[in-house]
Order: sequence, then structure tokens, then C-alpha cells
Amino acid sequence: MKKMLYAALVLMLLLLSACGNQEAGNESSEGDAPEDTESKEVNLYTARHYDVDDELYKKFEEETGIKVNLIKGEADELLERIKREGDATEADLFLTADAGRLFRAKDDGLFQAVSSDLLDEQIPENFQDTDQMWYGLTKRARVMVYNKETVTPEELSTYEALTEDKWNGRILIRGSENVYNQSLLASFIEIDGEEKAKEWAAGMVNNFARDPEGGDRDQAKAIAAGVGDIAIMNTYYLGQMLNSEDPEEVKVAENLGIFFPNQETTGTHVNVSGAGVVKSSKNKDNAIKLLEFLSAPEAQGTFAEANYEYPVNESVEATELLKSWGEFKEQDIPLSALGTNNSKAILIFNEVGWK
Amino acid sequence: MFISIDNVCFSYSNTKTAALDQFSMTIEKGEVISILGPSGSGKSTVLRLLAGLEKPEDGSFNIQETVIFNEKKFLQPEKRGIGMVFQDYALFPHMTVAENIMFGLFRFKKAAKQERLQEVLELVELEGFADRYPYQLSGGQQQRVAIARAIAPKPHLILLDEPFSNLDAELQGKIRKELRDILKKADITSVFVTHDENDAHAIADRIVKLKDGKIEVIGRPCDILNINRQAVVEAVALVEQRDMMSV
Amino acid sequence: MQRSLKNINVWTFSAVAIMALLFLPNLTIVGGIFTPTNDNWAHMKEHVLWSFVSTSLILVVATAVLTISIGLSLAWLIAQYQFPLRNFLKWALILPLSIPPFIGAYTYHGIVNYTGVIQTTLRDRFGMEVNPSHFDIMNLPGAIFIYTIFLYPYVYTITRIFLSQQSASLIETSRVLGKGPWGTFFRVVVPISRVSIIGGASLVVLEVLNDYGVVKYYGIQTFTTAIFQTWFGLGDIETSIKLAASLMGFVILVLMIEKLLRGRRQYSYSTTKVRPLPLIQLTGWKAAGATGFGLVIMSLGFFIPVIQLIDWTILTFGTIPMAEFMSYVRNSVTVAGIAATVIIAFALIVGNFGRLVHGKMAKLLPRLSILGYSIPGAVIAVAVVTAFIGLDRSLAPLYQALGFDTTLVLSVSLIMLISAYIIRFFAIGYNSIESGYDKIGTNFRDASRLLGMGITKTFFKVDVPMLKGAIISGFIIVFIDILKEIPLTLILRPFNFDTLSTKVFQYASDEKIMEASQASLLIIGISALSIIVFYKFIEKEPK
Repeated sequence: MKKMLYAALVLMLLLLSACGNQEAGNESSEGDAPEDTESKEVNLYTARHYDVDDELYKKFEEETGIKVNLIKGEADELLERIKREGDATEADLFLTADAGRLFRAKDDGLFQAVSSDLLDEQIPENFQDTDQMWYGLTKRARVMVYNKETVTPEELSTYEALTEDKWNGRILIRGSENVYNQSLLASFIEIDGEEKAKEWAAGMVNNFARDPEGGDRDQAKAIAAGVGDIAIMNTYYLGQMLNSEDPEEVKVAENLGIFFPNQETTGTHVNVSGAGVVKSSKNKDNAIKLLEFLSAPEAQGTFAEANYEYPVNESVEATELLKSWGEFKEQDIPLSALGTNNSKAILIFNEVGWK
Repeated sequence: MFISIDNVCFSYSNTKTAALDQFSMTIEKGEVISILGPSGSGKSTVLRLLAGLEKPEDGSFNIQETVIFNEKKFLQPEKRGIGMVFQDYALFPHMTVAENIMFGLFRFKKAAKQERLQEVLELVELEGFADRYPYQLSGGQQQRVAIARAIAPKPHLILLDEPFSNLDAELQGKIRKELRDILKKADITSVFVTHDENDAHAIADRIVKLKDGKIEVIGRPCDILNINRQAVVEAVALVEQRDMMSV
Repeated sequence: MQRSLKNINVWTFSAVAIMALLFLPNLTIVGGIFTPTNDNWAHMKEHVLWSFVSTSLILVVATAVLTISIGLSLAWLIAQYQFPLRNFLKWALILPLSIPPFIGAYTYHGIVNYTGVIQTTLRDRFGMEVNPSHFDIMNLPGAIFIYTIFLYPYVYTITRIFLSQQSASLIETSRVLGKGPWGTFFRVVVPISRVSIIGGASLVVLEVLNDYGVVKYYGIQTFTTAIFQTWFGLGDIETSIKLAASLMGFVILVLMIEKLLRGRRQYSYSTTKVRPLPLIQLTGWKAAGATGFGLVIMSLGFFIPVIQLIDWTILTFGTIPMAEFMSYVRNSVTVAGIAATVIIAFALIVGNFGRLVHGKMAKLLPRLSILGYSIPGAVIAVAVVTAFIGLDRSLAPLYQALGFDTTLVLSVSLIMLISAYIIRFFAIGYNSIESGYDKIGTNFRDASRLLGMGITKTFFKVDVPMLKGAIISGFIIVFIDILKEIPLTLILRPFNFDTLSTKVFQYASDEKIMEASQASLLIIGISALSIIVFYKFIEKEPK
């Protein structure tokens, strides 16, 4: 009796899963054969959730006939899934919006090195992993925005200067759970060492206009509301606000000045969106093709236009908006440092009480 | 000997003392037995054991030649052919009177089902109530439906749990007599549980007095009840008087 | 005799099998308690853990107190009094449940922030510059407000059903004994409703504990923050699971205390006739007060956020691709429908098993399934992924025999996602079914068996029809909960599988709350529709 029940249960599960598979993607059945160079699909785990990405994948499909299968999620959760799936994973490419996560994936041995002349041509060396395990696709700069009425750009200089007494109660920035802040602090650890970085974080906390809350856009709005005078945010959020459907948001953004800090010193903090080919990928060639496609001028232009991100491909011109913000000097550190120092950054945040 | 119960012992899992200790008796066909005792004496336990709602630790129970339970065998309640009238009647609220009564008649043919329904409805004098829902009936009517439902499948034995406790005092006397009439008319063997000596005296052929899970005495009502005879006579007279008035 | 014994075995076997399936993934997490502590653990303990824990406690206690106050007082008003709009409010007061708290959090912030409708109106129409800190909702009181206003329906529904089933005599006795309405409320209604209050409030508390969306956005650091900080930030999932396991341990403790408090009290009624409460007509300012109170709660929990979402939908209409929306709706409804159906079926089986088998384990074990609801979905997801990959590996030979050319079959199918839903939300469905079983007691079952019906026949002919209300209400609550679920859906879905809630996440996680409004409205709409259909159905019932 029990055996029969058990057998029935397993059979039922199998049948259901077979149906489920078919529903989920008809194409997936043909492409699963390992090392099948003729396969017509690529499986992507991505932590980027932009509509423009979907449009690019669609275009890729049209051009190459290779179907892009997607699971969108949070970076760390997707990483964990790949890790647990191990060699059997269906994932071919892992795409995320933070170099720290790319480093972590590499560190966990989830990526494989891939080489492609086209990739080398399209993506400058400093936006590639040193072992060619992953490639940067877009740049995002973490800059200052300020209230044009109460602050002049001449008063601004570096991230470090924000800890001066003069800015007491005037600084706005989001919480420490946010990866962009973690990367920012991680970069300071790399440049100035842990001790200095901790001093900086403590000084920032000391100058906070309020306890951190909300996202990057909310910091900009808080300036408009008069809560504080300077906010740290990623450039593309400002771009989104300037082009918002909500006229009030546009008004807020127009009253803000943008400032690229540390131009005279270490450069503005930059992070990347990037992707790497999963170690046990069964559609490696297609994954590389997709990487090449995403770093090609056309896709790079789309990223810049639709999402206000900086292209990594130097042959692509920035959009009008990005150009109006001007050229700027970037931090000159290996991006993998953002990953190696990420844990240290968290510990420092906790120690100095950066919520 | 129609029913024999031998040495039945039982205790609830969360207590140490026995709820029922070496309960034995025999019952003749058509007899009305009353189990009498204060609350906690184990009288409801007897019913639950006979019905199959609890498993005994020891002892045996036979109806005619059929073993209902002994140390090896335990017949599930639905296989025992025993009817039960619950203290709160437990009429299925989502079924009409007719559906309630026919619930136990699933082995009957369709025509036989209808026939039996009419029979028992007539017996309990509820002919016009077949399509009512339980909540549309009075307490006394609900009880009669419960009795009708229990006797419809023609059980060997019917168990009644405190049949009068949910009725107001005025109804009690009338129903006592009705119940005895129904049971006798249907020629059905029955065991009912009560804490009220008047109930036992009015209906039972024999009385089992229980105390602390043990049988104190078994016998005919007139032999064992030391209640004021005068009071009983008056009570019975009162009942009859009421009956006449209500007719 | 043979057949009956077999019956019991099938019930026992299925119930035990179901519970094993539900518990296995949770057990892997509980096992996390025993992993040795490391530096990260020590660091968390030294610097942040206690402040996180105390914030969580404040959040949980305040939300519990407020949801009980609002939920119970509304339930009492509806159960006892007649006033304008009562019949509408009776079911409409459940609607806030259809709004996922984190959507509510984003929406309320959107309303009150600098570019929100309140401040812009004051500024542009009346030329008033207001102190922005008066309009800051992103803080602890703000989060308590959000959780309260969107979760009170758990307390409201459960206590209202309970109160409406109470015999009038209890309450009338109190009044005859000279207690006024307030005295009756505090001396009789509150104590007799204790179990249903605790039942509802514990769902609220667990939901607050496992939620991350609201506190993350509002910058409040709770115990959940610690779990995610160690996982995402420190990359240390072991410590993260250890933290989650501690949370489970705490919840087990609370459950046991609750069990002790509840003691051996039986709350089932089994009489066929429970005299319902006659409604007392309120007049004048009392009636206005009752209606006003209901409407204020309704507006805060439903109308205001929905209107804002509609406004945003209009504002952003056409700017986001909507071609696929029908398929998101279909996907959402399908997985939620399947999972809710299975959960209710499982709950019926396990609940019936609890009644068949006397003994504490049979009652206690299913209650432990609530553990799956106490910790963040992302952690459960990891446990589920691990379990399914293990299952796939052990079934690999079978797959090969069947001609699949891959190892992962179950774990790349919808089965994994649906199983995860079942593991997580079983407790919600079971809660409803168990209280249904409690309510009907065992007499009807016994009566049926004495009339010759076996356990299984009795189940279908007596138990299921009598449980209809509990089945439907359990189904709806689970269905809505799954519809708005995000973390499990995100991680465990197969390729190219989007639901309304993943769409909401996609935009909201990128601070595009306006763009997220379409999918949010669809979730709310479907949930609201199912609540309305349910009430129309219940009202038709004779009784």
C-alpha cells in the first residue's frame, strides 16, 4: 500500500513537472543537450529589472535567432540558487548591477573565463575582470546633488569633505543595507585603508540631516523639501527624475545641481552592471554572443538613452543629458576591490551606527 | 441472552484513574436500560465504548453471536449496527429532516428508503416536517428527528445520551412517556444515560447505578431506587395530567 | 473491519506524509541553530543585534496591539450593531488585506512626501511651505501604521466570524447583569474572543516578522535586516540561516506559551441551534460614529492608496510595456489557485487526522507548520531549492530512463514554486480549517459513523459540507497571500515566468513606484474580486 502510494506520488510529480517545463518555455527542451553548439537559446539569471533590458533581449533574439530565457531576481538570491544547483544549473549567464556581486560569484567559482576579441575591443580593460571571468556592461557614478539655492559648487570638493563641521545636519544618504553605499565605502577602504574609511563613515553619520530612509530618489526630494542640502545618489536616478511622468518630480530634479566629487584627487566612485558566463554553462557560445551584443554600440547606446547609464564602450557617445553633466575622472581601483571589501564595509557601517 | 458486556475497562489517556472499571452486564432484546450516576461516574464512557467512539483497554462486547470487540478485535462504529442519539442531537445542519433520516439508509433501495422514512416519521409524529431544516424545529422536534434518524437503519441497539437534558422541565415529562412509547413500539433495545432518577424510573426496565466507574447495583427501578415513592407517584400523575391537557 | 482499519491507515499515512513534506525544508533551517558561531555572528551580536531585536519587538508589539484594537472593535460593531453602511463595511473592511504592505508603504510615502499630493497641493494651491518632518512617514511609527492598516483584517475576520457564531445568551446575560455596552465588551467579549484574537494577531505578528519590504524601504533595522545583512552584505548565508533559525525558535516558544495559556479549554459548539445576536440599532451620533470609524479605517486601508495607485496608473499609462499583462494575470491566478487548492486539501486531511487520533502530537505537529511563515521568504526559498535539487539528483536515473537529458527537472519547473507556496502558506489555510473543525466538533462525525458511514464517506458527506465556510474563507486568504507574495516567486520561478507580483517588484525595487502601480492595481483588483465573490456566496447560504 505505502509503496504504491509513494510510486504514485513520484509519478504524479514527474508528469506535472513535464507539463510545467513545457509551459515555462517550449524551447527549453531542445537546448538542454550539453555542449550543443547548435542550441538556439541562452539562459540568463539577471538582477537587473529594466524594461529596456527586455527590449534588448528581444532584439538579440531577432538578430541571432537565439532565444533568451530569463529569471529575474535579487542578485544574492540568484547567486545562491546557482551555487546550490551546482553543475546541473541551467543558467548560462549571470547579470547583476554591482561589481561586488560579480566578484563574489567569481570567488565562489561560479564563473568561467571567456575570451573574445570582440569583447576586448568593446569593453575597456579596466571594466573587465582580470581573469576575464566577467565583463562590465554599464557604468554608474555615485555623485553629489545639491540645493542650488543654499550651496554653491565651489563649496564642494570631495566625499571626504562632507564630514566637515560645516555640513553638520545637512547630508542626505540612504541606508547601509543598500549595495551602492556598501560599494562606495568599499572603494574608500581600498583607497584610504580601513581606518580612514571608518573615520569617514563616522563623520558622515555625524553630519546626517536625518536617519537614513528611502531610496536614492527620496534623498533628492528631501533636498527640495529642505531637510538637507547635499545628497549622494546615482546619476541615473537623477536622469529618471528629470524625465519623470510626474511634473513635481521634474521640478525637484531641475532645482538640483549635480557635482562629481574628488575630481582633483581620487576620482568619483563608479560601479558597473556586468555579467559573467556560468561555469557549467551549456550554451556558452550563445552566452558570449549575448555579452558581445550587449556591449556593442547599439545596445550601449540604448542603455545610455533609456536608463541614463554611462556606456562602457568608448566608441559610443553619451547622450545629451549625460554630456551636459560633463566628463569626469573615475576612481582608479580594480572593481573587484568593491567585492573584497564589501564585508568590511558592512562591519564598519554597523560599528559607526550608519543605519 | 441478546447482548453481553464483560469486564470492560477504560481510562482516558490524560488521567490515571480508571473511567470505567470491570463493567459487565447482559441485556435482553427489547429491554430499556438506564445507566444512572452523577457526572464523572463514567456513564457517558459506557455509551462511547459501546458505540465504538473509544477503544476499551480490556473486556469484550457481543451482540447475539457477533463480537463487537474483544482483546483481538475492534469493530469500527460504522460496522456495529448501533444507533445513537446525542445529547445535543447532532442533526446535520446542512440537511433537511428527510435527508438526516435517510443518511443511514444508504444500503436501502430507493423505494424502501422512502418507505422507511415515512415509517419512522410517523413513529415520531413528524409527518409534515420532512423538508424542514433542523434550525427550523423546536428542541423537542429536533430530539424526535434524532431518534428517528437513529432507529431508521434498524439498529440492534440504540444509545441515548442524556435524552432530556436539553429540554425544558415542562417538556421533560411528556417526552419521557413519548420516548418510552417510541422505543417499545419499535421493539428496540436501548441504553440511555441520565443523572436524573426520575428519568430512569419513568422509562427504564432496569437500572445500572454507576459510581466512580464501578457498577454499584443493577436492578429494576422499583427495587433499587430509594427515592420518595410518593414523589414519584405524584410526578407520574403530573405527567399524565399534562399529557391529557396537551391532547 | 478490514476496510475501516485501512481507512484509518490511509488518512494517517497521507497526513504524516504531508506533514513530512511540509517540515523537511523547515527542518533544514532549524538545523541551522546548531552551526557553530563565527566572527560575523559575534560582530552582529556585539554591534547591532540587540538594537535590531528591540526594534523588532517594538514593531511587533505595537502592531499587534493596534491591529487587535482596530480589528476587534470593528468586529464587535459589525457583530452587535446596526448602523448605516454596516452591510457594506462588513465585507469591505477585509479589502485592505488585498494590498501588499510594501506597496502600501511605497504608496503612502508617495502621498505624503515632498512631491506627493498633500505637500504639492499645500504648496501650489495655498502657497504653504510645510515642515517636511511632519510629513515623514518613513520611520518606526510610520511602519507600525502601515502594518496595522493593511494587516488588521486578519484579526477582524477571525474575530467577527467568531463573534457572529456566539450565542446571544452570553452577551445578553452580561447586559441583564447590568453591564453597559463597554463593560460587556471588556468583561465578556474580549475574554471569550481570546482564542480568535490570538489566532488573528499571531498571523499579523508573523507577517511583520517575515516582511522585509517595508522596513527596508523605511530604513528601519529589524531582526529581518540582520538576516539579510549577513546574507547579502557579508555573503555569509550560514550565519543568516542561523539567525532565521533563532527567529523560528522564538516563534516556537511563543506558540508554546500560547498553547499553555489556551490550556485545555474547548471552544467548540455542537448544538444545531445557536441563537444569533439580534442587532441593536444605533441612532444619532452613535450611528454616525460607528459608520465614520468604519469608513476612516476603510479609507486609510483601501480607498486612499487605491486612488493614489489609479492616479499613478493614469500618469504612467503607455510608458511601460503592457502587452504581456494578461499572461501575468493568468500566471498569478494559476499558481495561486493551484497552491491554494492543494493547501486546503492538505489542511483538510491533516485536520481530520488530528481529530481521528487522540493525542497531543497530532494537534501540535500541524501547528508547527506555522514556522514556515515566521521567517523571511528568501530563506525558505533557499531551503526549498536545496531540497528540490537534492530530490532531482536522487531521481536522476529515473529521468534518464524517461528520456530527459538533464538532471534538473522538478527544480526548474513550476512544481518547486508551488511546493514552496504550500510550505509557506499551509499554516494560513490550516488555521482556517482547524477552527472550522473545532467549531463543528466531533459529534456530527460520530453520528454519521454510527449511521454506518465510514471515515472517508463521512468526510465527504458531513465534514466537507459543514466546513464549506471555513474552506472558502481559508482558500481566499491563502489565494490572496500567494497573489501578493514576492520573494519565493522571484527566486523559485522557472524561466520566463512572470507574475503580477514579480512585475511589481521589478519596478518598485528600482524606485519606480508609479510604474509599479498597474500590476499592483491588478493584484488588488483580483483579490478584492475574490473577497466580494466569497461574500456574495456566503450571504446566499441558508442560515
